[in-house]
Order: sequence, then structure tokens, then C-alpha cells
Amino acid sequence: MTAPTLKIENLKLGFKLWSGMIEVLHGISLHIGKGERVALVGESGSGKSVTARIVLGMLQEMSSARISGGLTFEGIDLDKLKPRDRHHLRGTRMSMIFQDPTSSLNPVYPIFTQFREVLARANPAISDAEARMKAITALADVSINEPERVLDSYAFQLSGGMNQRVMIAMALANNPSLLLADEPGTALDVTVQAQTLKLMSDLVEQHGTSVLFISHNLGVVREFADRVYVIYKGRIVEQGLTKQLFSNPQHPYTRALLAAVPRITGGGIPDIAEDTAGFHDPLIAHPGASEKELLS
Amino acid sequence: MSAILELSGVSKEFAANGRRTLAVDNVSFSVEKGECLAIVGESGSGKSTIANMILGIYGASAGAIAFAGEPLPERREKRHRRAIQLVQQNPLSSLNPRRTVGASLRLALDVHDIGPKAERAERIGALLQEVGLEPDYARRSPAALSGGQRQRVAIARALACESELVVLDEPTSALDVLVQARVLRLLAELKAKRGLTYVFITHDLSVVRNIADRVAVFERGRLIEIGTTEAVFSSPTHDYTRRLISAVPVVSDAEAEMRQNIMEMTHD
Ligand SMILES: Nc1ncnc2c1ncn2[C@@H]1O[C@H](COP(=O)(O)OP(=O)(O)O)[C@@H](O)[C@H]1O
Ligand SMILES: Nc1ncnc2c1ncn2[C@@H]1O[C@H](COP(=O)(O)OP(=O)(O)O)[C@@H](O)[C@H]1O
Ligand SMILES: [Mg+2]
Ligand SMILES: [Mg+2]
Repeated sequence: MTAPTLKIENLKLGFKLWSGMIEVLHGISLHIGKGERVALVGESGSGKSVTARIVLGMLQEMSSARISGGLTFEGIDLDKLKPRDRHHLRGTRMSMIFQDPTSSLNPVYPIFTQFREVLARANPAISDAEARMKAITALADVSINEPERVLDSYAFQLSGGMNQRVMIAMALANNPSLLLADEPGTALDVTVQAQTLKLMSDLVEQHGTSVLFISHNLGVVREFADRVYVIYKGRIVEQGLTKQLFSNPQHPYTRALLAAVPRITGGGIPDIAEDTAGFHDPLIAHPGASEKELLS
Repeated sequence: MSAILELSGVSKEFAANGRRTLAVDNVSFSVEKGECLAIVGESGSGKSTIANMILGIYGASAGAIAFAGEPLPERREKRHRRAIQLVQQNPLSSLNPRRTVGASLRLALDVHDIGPKAERAERIGALLQEVGLEPDYARRSPAALSGGQRQRVAIARALACESELVVLDEPTSALDVLVQARVLRLLAELKAKRGLTYVFITHDLSVVRNIADRVAVFERGRLIEIGTTEAVFSSPTHDYTRRLISAVPVVSDAEAEMRQNIMEMTHD
């Protein structure tokens, strides 16, 4: 079997603050097979974004972060890479899409300048003409009708939905094998969000990109992911295929989370018990969907 | 049934940087006493502008707003400010960070001279309990509260004023889903218990489906559809409404099926 695109083993994270240590991740394990779309879903503060930032190698640069555990990318132990090589993966073999597209694009440069920078990470010798041609193709791939005009615009001149597409185009421009999408489209209207996700879904399928899809929204996860990990306060509590998890949630936390989502078919506001005792129950993996079974 | 709030031909035009925006375009609707009317639409459709005009934060460019049968003056009287309260998406922007929760509630009671002075401290405790917080939360500062707790305090303040109409502008949009469910349930209970009237602004149609009696759908400042929640969700008359419903991310097969049926009704 080919190595999974990403494998995280027993990842722990703490921050050393003046007031003492705070533990944020308590040993999480997850993996993403080649071409697989895997969701990490949980409430705010549960440890989703820090996980993505550790995979990218960004959190390691913070002096207060205490990180342990294994990170393997396409069979390579990331911790054994030289810092320079590790840094080079970012924006080339792995890339990230953030929640708020407008603020993650630089307001002082036109889109093209930023696009060129992204392309230059993979090919430092790229010419302006070639970068422009590649950028135009990439923007056309995300259904942007006037790529020339968009390239010469600034982020603030474009709509949120347009900026999100630009971000997707940039993230996929170097054909990464892993895309980390952190709450993509959360800041957008649902109609725009639905279109954006559809577009992203089609593109990653075409390119065979593996995706870590981070979201707090169960509905969006159900639509996008093949497989799901549910995270609660820095621990994975349930994992399974999307179908398994949504049709037959097992862990008390997942059950509460699903029960709390108001249904478009009606039924009233659910009565959520204040009791969170079962939320700390150990991990439940659906049949055939544990790390052991999937990685053997 | 009688209308507690009535908007007739209300418009609002903004002029900024030499550009004019007709944020609200000739809108008429009424809100019945004791109902929850949801206002839905995409961002920029004019929802918050309507809220701000109802609150009297700014006036309408045209048209009239009446409350309990009387036209509302542009400069609101104290009794109007008491009777109509706002709960915003981010209560931190409306709760003074330097005041304790208790002091914020006390101020509302003092300004509107509600209840005997000697009983106000006790009343603050009772209000906090009514929104599901222990009375000793009165001593905390807003910064020491979670998002859901802050929203409860904002609701308690609206209750403190014994308001009749509460305008809720995306009250649960920033909350996690478990917290959202609890706050929505609290709102539904308070409405039943106190006979409150809500104008509930949100972009989340799943929430609307479960809390509103009627729904008003806005598109670029225009009211394009209004009806009972049941009617709007089972047979929306506008493609825009159908698109809004069919874009909602759902968690069950039954919902996906309903969404599919609605999508098939659209004409483009
Ligand atoms: N630089 C930091 N210093 C201290 N705590 C942090 C830092 N970054 C994140 N945290 C904490 O780690 C936890 C997880 O954060 P995050 O991964 O951003 O959550 P989310 O699941 O919402 O993406 C939170 O409690 C957050 O406050
Ligand atoms: N104070 C203002 N000055 C200029 N334009 C405004 C102002 N407030 C709102 N607008 C514009 O009015 C329209 C409606 O805005 P708003 O009522 O906030 O929409 P919603 O709450 O539905 O997202 C938007 O185009 C917005 O940019
Ligand atoms: Mg996050
Ligand atoms: Mg608004």
C-alpha cells in the first residue's frame, strides 16, 4: 500500500505561558490517504487550527509552543527534514486556505503580485509572462470570468466570494498533494459558500489532491468529506466514514453536537442537556475505520 | 391579533464616498404582538439597516414606522427606548467592558426607573437566573464570560427593561452549535412566558425554520416574500428564496431530500 499523504501520530501540544502550561492537544492521531478528503470537526477552541498549523510547520516557530508526536508526509518524517526543506514544502507540496479570504490576502499588492509570489515558491526562475499565463489558467479553473481584470485588482475591490476563489486558485496553483482548508467559506453567504465548496470539491478530485477539511459546521462536513474525525477539547472522540458517522453517531459528544443542529425540515429547537460527563469518553472508531485498520 | 410594529413604505438611502446605496427600498410589513418574525436574506440585503431604523439609531429616508399604533418620532422618547430593545451578534460591542454584568443591568433598571430602588439588587439576581446564569455572575466583567454567557446577559438586559419588542440581529451566529441550541431554547421559553415579540434577523434558515412564526425574505433591500414559516418553507414563491433554502448545509438525508425538492422548483 502507498504511504498516506499525511499521518499524525499521538500529537501533543502545550503552550508555556507566564501563568503556566496549558495543554491544547492531548495526543491526537489521524491520517489522510492519497486523494482522500478528511474532515476534522469540532467546536471553536477544540484544537483544529493549531493542528493544521503544526502540519504546515508554522507553530514550531513559536517559542512558547511545546510539540511532540509524529508527523509523516508522503512517507517522510517531517521532523527529520532540514528547516529549509521543511519550509520549502509550504505553498508547494502542501498549502492552506484560510477562513477569511479578504483578510488573508495582502491589501497593498494587486492579486497578480501575490499570485506570482506563490508560483515563484515552486519555480523561482518563473518569468512574469509565464506567471501571468499560469495565474490566468488557475483563475479560469475556479470559474472566474475575467481573470485579467481580477489579477490587476486589489483584494478589497473584489467580493468575499471572489477572494475565496482567488485563495483556492492560489492554494492549488503549484498542484500540492495536500490541501489544508481551515473553515473555508465560513465568512461567506451560504449560497456562495455552497458554490465555492462545489468548485473546490471538483478541483481536488481532478487533481487527486488530499484534503484536511477543518470545520465547525457538521452540514458542510457531511457534504464535503469522505471521512471524519470529531475533536473535542484536544482529543479525537469519534472517527468513521462520513456515512457511518452521520447515520449512526456513537460518541456522546458527537450525538449532542448532531442533535443540536436545527433541522431545515423543522421539529423545534432541541433540548440539549447541560450534562457533558460523557463528552470525555474514550475514542470510538466505526467498524473498519480505526487508525489501525485503515493503516495496516 | 394586533400589530405592535408597522413599517409603511420605509426606505433608507446611504450616501458614502459619493456613492448612493438604497439599502432598504420601499418596505412595508407589520409584526403582530407575541409573534416571532424572522428577517432573512444574504449579507447586504438590508437586514441590519431595518433593525437600526426600528431601534431609532437612525431615521428612515422615506416612509413611517409605528409602534403600538402610534407613529414613532425620529428622536425616540425614553419609553420607546425602553419598549424596543436590541440584542446584537456580538454582545461585547453593546456591553460596556468596564462595567460588571450587575452594573450593566442596574443601569438599565435605573435609567428606566423600573421597580422600587431597594429591590433592584435582588431583581438583578432574578434576571440572571431567568436567563440561566447564577446570580453571582453579577460580579463578573463581560470579558470573563463565554460567548453564550454574554448573549444571556444581553438578553437579561432586554428583560430588565421590560421591553415589549426585542430585535435580535444574528444573536446566535457567533456561537457554537451546542450553545446556540441552548440560547435559542431560552429565547423561545422567554417569548412564551413573557409574551415577548421578536424581530429575529438571521442568515441561517435552519434556525428560522425552528423559531419563527413568520418569515420575511429580503433581496437587495426589497421585501420579496413574506408568509408563515410553514408556507415559505414548503412552497417558496421566489427563486431567490428557493436558492437560499437549497444552499443550507444539512445533516440528514430527510433534509437533503427536502432541499432537493425545493431546488427542483427553481426556474433557472
Ligand atoms: N499562541 C497561542 N497561545 C496560547 N494558546 C493558544 C495559542 N493558539 C491557540 N491557543 C489555544 O489553543 C486552543 C485551540 O485553538 P485553535 O486550534 O485555534 O481552535 P479551533 O478548533 O477553534 O481552530 C484554544 O484554546 C486556543 O485558545
Ligand atoms: N452606515 C452606512 N453607510 C453606507 N452604507 C451602508 C451603511 N450601512 C449599511 N450600508 C449598506 O447598506 C446595504 C445593506 O446593509 P445591511 O443592512 O448591513 O445588510 P445586512 O445586515 O443584510 O447584511 C449594504 O449595501 C451596506 O453596504
Ligand atoms: Mg480555528
Ligand atoms: Mg447585518
